Amino acid sequence: MPAALTLNDAEHALAASLPDGEVATALREQGLPTRRDEAWRWSDLRAKETAARSPSAEMVDPKSAGVMALADRTEILFANGRLVTDPSSLPEGVTLTVAPALFDLDTDEIVAALGSAAPLVVVRIDGSQAALTLRYLADGDGYHAQNVSILIAAGSHLDLLEVHEVTGAPFVNARTMIDVGRAARLVRTIAQPAAPSATLVHYSEVSLQPKAKLRQVSVARGAALARHQTHLSYFGAADVRLGQLYRLEDTAHCDFTTHADLLHPDSQTRHLCKGVIDGRARGVFQGKFYVARPAQHTDAQMAHHALLLSDDASVNAKPELEIYADDVECAHGNTAGALDEDALFYLQQRGLSADEARRLLIDAFGAEVLDRVDGDAMRDALAAVYGGGA
Amino acid sequence: MPATNVQFFTYRICRKKIAMLNIQDLHLTIGDNPILNGLSLEIPKGEVHAIMGPNGSGKSTLSYTVAGRTGYEPSAGDITLDGDSLLELDPAERAAKGIFLSFQSPVAIPGVATMNFIRTALNAQRTSRGEAEMSSAAFLKVFREKAKIVGLTPEKLKRPFNDGYSGGEKKRMEMLQMAMFEPRFAIMDETDSGLDIDALKMVGDVVNDLRGPDRGFLVITHYQRLLDHIKPDRVHVLAGGKIVKSGGPELATELEIGGYDQFTEAA
Repeated sequence: MPAALTLNDAEHALAASLPDGEVATALREQGLPTRRDEAWRWSDLRAKETAARSPSAEMVDPKSAGVMALADRTEILFANGRLVTDPSSLPEGVTLTVAPALFDLDTDEIVAALGSAAPLVVVRIDGSQAALTLRYLADGDGYHAQNVSILIAAGSHLDLLEVHEVTGAPFVNARTMIDVGRAARLVRTIAQPAAPSATLVHYSEVSLQPKAKLRQVSVARGAALARHQTHLSYFGAADVRLGQLYRLEDTAHCDFTTHADLLHPDSQTRHLCKGVIDGRARGVFQGKFYVARPAQHTDAQMAHHALLLSDDASVNAKPELEIYADDVECAHGNTAGALDEDALFYLQQRGLSADEARRLLIDAFGAEVLDRVDGDAMRDALAAVYGGGA
Repeated sequence: MPATNVQFFTYRICRKKIAMLNIQDLHLTIGDNPILNGLSLEIPKGEVHAIMGPNGSGKSTLSYTVAGRTGYEPSAGDITLDGDSLLELDPAERAAKGIFLSFQSPVAIPGVATMNFIRTALNAQRTSRGEAEMSSAAFLKVFREKAKIVGLTPEKLKRPFNDGYSGGEKKRMEMLQMAMFEPRFAIMDETDSGLDIDALKMVGDVVNDLRGPDRGFLVITHYQRLLDHIKPDRVHVLAGGKIVKSGGPELATELEIGGYDQFTEAA
C-alpha cells in the first residue's frame, strides 16, 4: 500500500469539489502531478498550485478582447468553463450536444481525469467544410474544467481554431478529445494568449483514422504555468504536421508535451516546436514517437529549437524515439542558443536599430512555424499573439 | 598685404584633398591580442583605395571597427567621416551617415523576406537622415533594375534573405544592397572571394557605376584580379595591424609577384 499523501490546500479544495467516485479517490491518492512524475518533471503543477481555489464564478456578460477575431467563422463561446453559445444557433453540419461528465480515468493522467469531471460538450462535424472557432474565455482566480469532444465524420473537413483567452489568475483545466474520421481533414490552430498569472493545463487526445490528415499549429504566450499535452493515436496511415511556438517573458512557464502512438504502416509526421524565452522564463519540450512493430515505413521527424534571450532564461527538452519497426525513417533534433551576433550586427550595419534588429530576428525565428498556417488573416492573427506587446 | 595672404592660404587648402574617411592612429585589442597597432589611413572624396595584406593582418577587424561592431571599440585613435567622428555612433547611425560594409561572409536569415528587408533598411536609413521614405512603387522599380545588374533572378529573390544562396550569390546580394543604398563610403571586405570571372566583372560594374566625386571606397582584397576591374587610386599594404606601405595601383602588381613577405618585416 502506498504511503498516504498529505494533500495541500489546493488538492483538498479540488477533491472536495468533486462528487464521490473514482476521480476524487484518485486525486486524494495521487495528488496533482509533481516533478517526481517523469512526465511532469519540469512542470511541477503541485508546487505551483498550493492554495485552495473556489470554483470559477460565472462570468457576467462574457466578452472577448477580440484576439483571433476572424471573419466568416462559426464561434462557440465558453466562459469560465460554461457553454455560452446556444446550440440551436449553429449552422447545418455542426451539431452540439451536452452530455454528463464522464469521470474518465482511462488516461493515466490525473489532470485529464479532472478535466473529464466537467459536462462533456460534443461537437459533430458532418460533411461540411466548416470553419469553427472554440473560444474559451477565462477570468478570476478560481478553478474550472472544460471538456469538449469533437467528432469529424469520414471525409469531412474541419478548420478548427481554439482560442484560450485567459485573463486574471485562474487555473483552467481544458480537455479536448478529437476523432478525425477516415479520410477526414482537420486543420487545427490553437492560440493561447494568457495573462502572466494564469495556470492552464490543456490535455488533447487526437485519434486519427486511416487516411486522416492533421495540420496543427499552436502558439502560446504568457501564463505562470501552461502545459499543452497532446496525445496522437494513429489508427491507420495518417499524414500529420504539427507546429508549436511559444514566447515567454518574465517568469512565464510553458510546456509542450506531445506523444505520438504510431501503430500502423505508412504514416508521415513532421513535428516542429520553437520557443523564444526571455527574463527568468522556462520552456519545456517533451516529444515522443512510439513506433509499434507493425508501423513499417513510418516517416517521422521531430525538432525543437529554443532561442534564449537572457542569461536567466532556461529550457528543458526531451525528444524521444521508441521504435519497434525495422523499416522506418525517424529523426529528432534539438537546439538552444542565443540570437546570432553576426546577424544582429549585419542588420544594424544595414541601418536597423539594435531593437529593430532583435525584433526582426525573433520574428524570423517564429516564421518557420507560422508559415505553416494557411490563410493570411489566420497567420497574421497568430503572429500578433506571438509578437504582440514585444 | 593682408588680402594677398588670404588668397594664397585659400589656394593651398583647395589644393590639398580633404580626407573623406580619416583613420588616425587606431589601436584595437581583442581579448589579449592587439590587432590594430596605430593604423592611419586617409581616403579623399571620390577615390578608391585598396588594402591588401596577409591573413590575420587585421583587414576584417578594420572593417568591423569602422562599421561599429560591438566588441570592436578602439582603445586609442579616431575615425572620422567628413570630419565627424564615428566612434560614438552605433552601427545603424553610421549606416545612416553613409557607411556601407559589404561583408566577407554575409549571413542568411531564413524567415526574413528579402525585398521587405532591403526596403525596411533603406527607409530606416532615409528616415534617420530626415529624408522621405521611398514608396513601394519607386523602390520596386529600382530594385528590379539593380537586381538585373547584379544577376539575381526574381525566383532567387523570392527566397528568404540569402536562404539557400551560394557564396557567390550572397556576394551578389551584397552588391545589390550597395547599389540600392548608394552609400557615401563603402568598405568591400573580400567581395571577390568565391566569385567567378563574370561575377568579378559585375562587381567592377557596380562599383564603377557608383564611383563619383562625393563617394569613397575601401576595397579589401588578397588578389590583383578584382583591381583589374576596379582601378584603385591608391593601394596600401596592411601588416601587423598597421599600414606598412602605400603606393599607386602598381603596388598591387608588385604584391602579386613578390608576395607580402617583402613588407611584413617592416610591421
